Amino acid sequence: MSLPEAYQHEIQALNRQVLQTCPSDILQFCADFFNSRLASERAASLSIFRDRGTPSPGFSPSPRFCPSPTSHFAMMSSQFSSPFGANSNPFGGSTSPMASSVMHSVVEEEENDNDNGHDHGHDRDHLAPGNPFFSGAFGGDASTEAPPTMRGPPTNDSYPAQYNFGRRTSVSAESLKPSADSYDNWTPPFTEKTPEQIERLKHAIEGNFLFNHLDDEQSAQILGALVEKPIPARGIKVISQGDAGDYFYVVERGSFDVYVNPCGFIEPGPDGLGNKVGNIQAGGSFGELALMYNAPRAATIISAEGSCTLWALDRVTFRRILMESTFARRRMYESFLEEVPILSSLTPYERSKIADALETQKFAPGDTIIHEGDPGHSFYLLESGEAAAYKGTEKVLSYNKGDFFGELALLNDAPRAASVVAVTDVKVATLGKNAFQRLLGPVEGLLRRTRYQGVKTGVEEMDPLQQE
Amino acid sequence: MAATLAEAQPGIAALATGTTSPGDPSTDPTLEPLPPTRKFKLSDFKRVRTLGTGTFARVVLVRPANATKPLEEEKNPEVYALKILKKTEVIKLKQIDHVRHERAILADVAGHPFITNLLGSFSDHDCLYMLLDYVPGGELFSYLRKYRRFDEPTARFYAAEIVLVLEFLHEQQGGVAYRDLKPENLLLDQDGHIKLVDFGFAKRLGYKDDRPVETYTLCGTPEYLAPEVIHNKGHTTAVDWWALGILIYEFLTGYPPFWHQNPIEIYKQIVEKPVVFPQEPVISDEAQDIIRSFCTIDRSRRLGNISGGAGRVKAHPFFRGVNWDDMLSRRHRGPIIPPIRYPGDDQCFDVYPEDDARSTAYTVEMANKYDRYFEDF
Repeated sequence: MSLPEAYQHEIQALNRQVLQTCPSDILQFCADFFNSRLASERAASLSIFRDRGTPSPGFSPSPRFCPSPTSHFAMMSSQFSSPFGANSNPFGGSTSPMASSVMHSVVEEEENDNDNGHDHGHDRDHLAPGNPFFSGAFGGDASTEAPPTMRGPPTNDSYPAQYNFGRRTSVSAESLKPSADSYDNWTPPFTEKTPEQIERLKHAIEGNFLFNHLDDEQSAQILGALVEKPIPARGIKVISQGDAGDYFYVVERGSFDVYVNPCGFIEPGPDGLGNKVGNIQAGGSFGELALMYNAPRAATIISAEGSCTLWALDRVTFRRILMESTFARRRMYESFLEEVPILSSLTPYERSKIADALETQKFAPGDTIIHEGDPGHSFYLLESGEAAAYKGTEKVLSYNKGDFFGELALLNDAPRAASVVAVTDVKVATLGKNAFQRLLGPVEGLLRRTRYQGVKTGVEEMDPLQQE
Repeated sequence: MAATLAEAQPGIAALATGTTSPGDPSTDPTLEPLPPTRKFKLSDFKRVRTLGTGTFARVVLVRPANATKPLEEEKNPEVYALKILKKTEVIKLKQIDHVRHERAILADVAGHPFITNLLGSFSDHDCLYMLLDYVPGGELFSYLRKYRRFDEPTARFYAAEIVLVLEFLHEQQGGVAYRDLKPENLLLDQDGHIKLVDFGFAKRLGYKDDRPVETYTLCGTPEYLAPEVIHNKGHTTAVDWWALGILIYEFLTGYPPFWHQNPIEIYKQIVEKPVVFPQEPVISDEAQDIIRSFCTIDRSRRLGNISGGAGRVKAHPFFRGVNWDDMLSRRHRGPIIPPIRYPGDDQCFDVYPEDDARSTAYTVEMANKYDRYFEDF
């Protein structure tokens, strides 16, 4: 593989400068050289912004982009390249993204720390603080002689110095389709656990962002699906840095050491694991990224004592549990919604948007779901359990799974004509008039597409919530 | 050296469930036929150089095999971008579905002013090929990093062109979600207009039994993932509006609102933290509002997904003054005119190594099992 032409130009120019100047501090000299090169290249490239008012004919290059042979520190190369591009740093080589993530993870706290620039200190001296680079560049009044270099931010707290400005790689998990779609029934794997084990597991994952939004059924299925994994001896690698990741682990018993090799993978030799950066005890967990997609492991995890136990959960099981339950619930909502007369004029697409926006609420036996006389704002679908409608103390109607009430609130703000009280534990899916309108626009047009008043459903008379 | 878990636990490999659908013909009885395209063969072209590389794809600048004049001397050169995908990598990374979607959708959307035009597609024993218009201005990513950030008129111009693309994909193409919006996937043509490239994750959500189908496969770029994708709640075209909010933020500040060296920390921020704006540069109220309106976790409140769809987006104050007809007909040149010296110029693209990493052979067994997914490519 040959070096890029532009790079060879740069290096030759640097060579000439070094020969001419014989600098004492070589590294500093090279840094200054490249900063200066970068500054002049930027000054030249910014001209296309300044020129944008005057369209140049089709394909003719801007004159300011022509290489200037006169100065080593002027436009030396005609190669357009992005200074931050992953492959445009001549000394960058092919740094693995994993490696950089590990190396930089310790400085993440320093984002707003004004002292974090020791290593760029020299560059920063050249910067004019409070003179943000871009306003001038676009405004046309930029002073061309001293555009800031790329290495330091214009002001310390306005630009995250640690952000990786390279190209970002797309990620993708294996494609999953709900089994209801492909007609094969799927039941999640289940491993029996003691109540104490369940409690410990719950505690271990409760704060985790991948688990804390799950509902009770999903949590129960996930907890059931975790598989016990005895690690009989000390020194067993549970995961190896750089390997494909498919499992998430919770430590049930014992402890595990965490090693990170800055190069991104385990190297051969006695120190190949890299540095020990931590230890994970019972109740801790690791490898959660594997629940999202297959990414190389960021660290090596080794058992630190004999007879440890882990719980393991693989990505496909995890994602499938969430997908199947979400999918089933959406289809249930959609079929419920099809039964609501005032929504009968909606297209399937519109009903699906409603299904998407429904929120689950739970009520204990005896709880009042809506109060007689209150203004009606929301509509309810009974997902599970039983409820009853009362006018005063008189029970006028019973509701079961799939029934709905309060839907006329979508049409007007009339007070509720009855109370609805949970008889058993009740789960409802609810949607407010405001959300309905946000999604589908003015209710009047939509719900009166078919004249609701004329529909012979009996619901109007049946719905005790609606006053005559 | 420590023993590996696999040695200690011989059964662990068997735990990996093989229930994913692509790659296993038995679970995928409905293989939608791909729309027809013009067919070519690799020997019709000669390679100039690589324009970009991805996880399993490489895009190369090509010319007709019989072209003899140096590229810079050609007044009207035939140049194309050829996207090459290795079958073995596509299978290994479980991307068969995605590759078929890409090929099908590109064929359907060809001709839109802000999307790269698919000219043909074909396959041979080892690879799949898509022949595309060459867009010489390079990635908007390169310009954004070079200039650090864009001013609001510049950001508005690109955002407006993207709104028109999303309106087309979501509302005129029957619910196509693009799912990988980012500066890396936007090229500039010679007049500075946007071309959306890489439809590798695009999916026609379509309808089944007369209802729209949400989709569940996690894909995209970490900084740009919508919360519902991270939480595996099933997602729709609304993910593209979320990503547009992230993109406008990155245009205006030079970096995305949620970032961290560790992807898990990015995801935590996306699902838990609001978008906050820096003091410097000053972001206008309209820009802040449109970014917040796109980056709204509740999809019943997210701009673009709420009633009015893209029309509502176009009416947002951030786009005040934009003439949408002029935009769509490309009446004005873009804010950045790429430094293109001659029509086949490739200087706006970064240089990539040309040698391919070693790859495993596409065996007869694999061909027997998988070629049915590739034969109509």
